Amino acid sequence: MQNQRERLLAALSQLLDERGYEATTVSMIGKRASVSKSDFYRQFKSKDACFVAAYDDAVEQIREPALAACGAADSWPQGVVAALRALLEAFASEPARTSLILVEGLRAGRGIYDRYQAALESFVAQLRDGAPPPPDGSHPPEATDEAVVGGVAALLSRRVIAGETARLPELLPEIAEFALTPYLGATEARRIISG
Amino acid sequence: MQGRSAIGGYSSAMPGGAQGRGRPARKPARTPRPELPKEFIAAHKRRRIMDAIAELTAENGYDATKIGDIVRRAGVARKTLYDNFEGKEEVFLSAFDAAVEESAEQVEAACATIGGDEWEARLQAGLAAFLRYVAEHPAVARMCLIEALSATPAATDRYGAAMQRYVELAGAVTPDSELLPETIDETLVGGVAWIVYQQIRRKEAELAEDLLPELSEFMLAPFQGAADAAGRRRRNA
Repeated sequence: MQNQRERLLAALSQLLDERGYEATTVSMIGKRASVSKSDFYRQFKSKDACFVAAYDDAVEQIREPALAACGAADSWPQGVVAALRALLEAFASEPARTSLILVEGLRAGRGIYDRYQAALESFVAQLRDGAPPPPDGSHPPEATDEAVVGGVAALLSRRVIAGETARLPELLPEIAEFALTPYLGATEARRIISG
Repeated sequence: MQGRSAIGGYSSAMPGGAQGRGRPARKPARTPRPELPKEFIAAHKRRRIMDAIAELTAENGYDATKIGDIVRRAGVARKTLYDNFEGKEEVFLSAFDAAVEESAEQVEAACATIGGDEWEARLQAGLAAFLRYVAEHPAVARMCLIEALSATPAATDRYGAAMQRYVELAGAVTPDSELLPETIDETLVGGVAWIVYQQIRRKEAELAEDLLPELSEFMLAPFQGAADAAGRRRRNA
């Protein structure tokens, strides 16, 4: 059963990449996954429900390595850099999944923005937790972590739309600097990234 | 010189004395209104149709908005809509374009009021103008920053192009620094768009101007950080 579910999610994700959401039907998903229509409906209420599940699943697949990399680091700033590296590599390694998360999924709408927002929020919490007080004692304004995460996500989406998914890891130094600077100042951020 | 406002505020295109001319206006509403030029009426109707789609998509979403709803809300004949637009998508895209044009012009105008090398004040003025636009046009802002993301593929592309326009606007104001990542303007504009997006989703677009202090600090910080760093290096050298 679990197997069926996974096959359906994978099939949907492939079909989205090939045809887009509108043109994908429940029969196509079933056929691609070798699952009967009635079994499809045993797993998911509707195409939309399958889509939301596929989206959450995809997000989880890139969140996991990012969190693991972060947890293995010695310090907060190194954790941020490690998480970003893992994230960019996970994005680059599976373009269809990346497009689902950052572009196609969002285009299809249908409540996916709630999941996207939730995913971003979880990264915001991750960034905020353990962030050191800035050297001069003044905290960055509240919106900072959200704007940092939102800004990085926007940049990544733009690059994916431009067809540069495979090259996302090259952005690591710039993105890491952008993410760390509000907390550490530019000099220290750059030192950590090059170190 | 007036040409630029053709798409945007039809209110400014209102012929000067159209209302105040002649006797004090105490006529019954049905009296044929005198001599509003045809082009003005046409532009006004176009504009009403675009305003209607902004309101309706903000209320119900793009998919649920039908041509019948639009003409009813705009108070125009179905034929008028089809004389002006191919269909719903073109109405939406035209309204989107008009709003991007109008907001970007207001941002540019605000930036232009700050002369000299006070780029920080210029950036803040531009950001303030953008937030004011959102606060004053909550439905339009919702259409552009939320509905456009998933309305149609063409709309998503327009959204991308509008982002690019704002990235360039920001890039024109922020100082060049080899100390900063090349992508800085993209991440800053993306960050601002995300925060404003959330503000609109919370149905608090009208309060967008409250975000000004936080967002200007967010936008300025990297440059000030770079300037501080450059200053320290010069002192140490």
